[in-house]
Amino acid sequence: MQSPSLTTMPPAISVSGVTKRYGPVTAVDGVDLEIAEGEVYALLGPNGAGKTTLVEMLEGFRKADSGEISVLGMDPADGSLAFRSRIGIVLQSQGSIDTYTARELVSAWSAAYPNPMDPESALKLVGLSEHADRRGKKFSGGMRRRLDFALGVVGNPDLLFLDEPTTGFDAVARRQSWEVVRSLSAEGRTILLTTHYLDEAEALADRIGVISEGKLIIEGTIWDLRRELGTSTRISWRPDPELDLAGLPQEASAWRRTESGRLTLETNEPTRLLRDLLAWSALRGLDELPELWVRSPSLEEIYLELVGAESEAQDPPLVEAAG
Amino acid sequence: MTAAAGTLVTDRAELLRRTVRLSWVQFVLAFKATVREPQAVFFLILFPIMLFVIFGSVFPWEIDGTDVKLSHYLAAGIIGSSLFGTSFMNLSIGLVGQREDGWLKRLGGSPVPKLSFFAGQIGSALVITVAQVIAMLIIGIAAFGLDLPSGTQWLTLIWVLALGVAAGCGMGIAVTRIIPSVRSAPPVVNFPFIGLQFISGVFLNFDILPTWLQWLASVFPLRWLCQGLRSVFLPDEFQNVEPGGSWQLEWVAIVLLIWIVVGLALAVRTFRWDQSG
Repeated sequence: MQSPSLTTMPPAISVSGVTKRYGPVTAVDGVDLEIAEGEVYALLGPNGAGKTTLVEMLEGFRKADSGEISVLGMDPADGSLAFRSRIGIVLQSQGSIDTYTARELVSAWSAAYPNPMDPESALKLVGLSEHADRRGKKFSGGMRRRLDFALGVVGNPDLLFLDEPTTGFDAVARRQSWEVVRSLSAEGRTILLTTHYLDEAEALADRIGVISEGKLIIEGTIWDLRRELGTSTRISWRPDPELDLAGLPQEASAWRRTESGRLTLETNEPTRLLRDLLAWSALRGLDELPELWVRSPSLEEIYLELVGAESEAQDPPLVEAAG
Repeated sequence: MTAAAGTLVTDRAELLRRTVRLSWVQFVLAFKATVREPQAVFFLILFPIMLFVIFGSVFPWEIDGTDVKLSHYLAAGIIGSSLFGTSFMNLSIGLVGQREDGWLKRLGGSPVPKLSFFAGQIGSALVITVAQVIAMLIIGIAAFGLDLPSGTQWLTLIWVLALGVAAGCGMGIAVTRIIPSVRSAPPVVNFPFIGLQFISGVFLNFDILPTWLQWLASVFPLRWLCQGLRSVFLPDEFQNVEPGGSWQLEWVAIVLLIWIVVGLALAVRTFRWDQSG
């Protein structure tokens, strides 16, 4: 991963006050964003949050209602030859690739670019060299996505748009894709990744931006996000329903209660709260506080809360991360 | 750093060469896509022949008041309508399918010129049309005693076919804007097209239709296309049976040209790589 260059190089992508409406719905609401050259930036957000619309404006398929967009120093909406020669788009394709072999398609595609990769290299990069002469209709879902990838990168783009690149991949294929993305980034390309997967964003991105309801609500490196949002520690346990909670530290009402009866509290002073909680439990003659855990929120919890979904992780996850 | 800004094309001659080269690449892709689909080959080539053979055999007689065989009339009509089916119906539905599955979006984000893409589509339609015509000629001559065109008739055949393909393709591209999806294509494309065939002198003699229906049909290019083709395959005396009293080749050319202009203008203005704003 590279740290973003903050200096004299113009940003690869610059978005300023961009708004897009569809009738009464404001899909993108005054977004400001800058992505530096060579950066890997992950755009996260629930469906319908506006990230697709934003990315389509950056790719040149839609025009903003207001604000300015500059991608690689050009206005994408112009759709100039220079612009389209320097970007690559990896998207999920369905039927149309069926009638062709991977080799045919990647070769045909490379012909359009001024400085393409060798089609064989592109095929090799995505691991399709062996199957390159098989027709698309015989491809598994994973192979199709690899072909999508090859088509997106064969043009040797300076800026790559990756639209949910590993959806439907198994764990091995995901890891392989991540390696490919990393190697592309190591060559200095700028990459804008939209994804639902937080671990993917964490694994690949220099910076993450979260879009919700058309607004960019937070942006920064993983560490920035944690620092801003995840400082607090959570303490949680599940009391026996009959238990009288009088005298519970910080008042029973301060604790968040789930339907299953679990109590959770966020605090910046976990040790003090724990001490008080343990003292209280001793007073009550409880040997054990049932299902007690103490931890800092996962990135997923931070994200889910941020975008307004009820956090699933009131109860600890099935596979508990260490600590 | 990656791709050098270097070899970007700015010189006009170079740009033209590039467009031509990429038109060829796109043509190869479009053509392969069509011929590799057995369904397409059936509908585009075998089905018209089947219709031709069946109708021609079931109605082996001459048209009332002439000594022109119905099968020869049919030959012109079926060539015309299968040309239109390829350029208009097949092309538009194909484009909608490509739009639906992201193919067009991918193209739109690549440096392939729109012109090259459409040239490829039109070129593919043209090649298939030629194949259809050849197939029909072979059957027509072998089974129904159709005469090969002679001398200037070849010229007429060529320009009528060329204008017909151009008009069909222009309209086919333009109409994709109003077709929401492949599944909802039939009421917008297929059914109107079938209806148009019946009133344009493809299966039924045009001259036996009521006048108002003839007027309606004459707005559209198919009636004129078939008439132009009849001038190639039927004896000159048949002109008397035509509503206009002659082949009216000037009108054939004019109407087709108008539709070409309308179709291409609409296509250029309304075509989108993806469906929506």
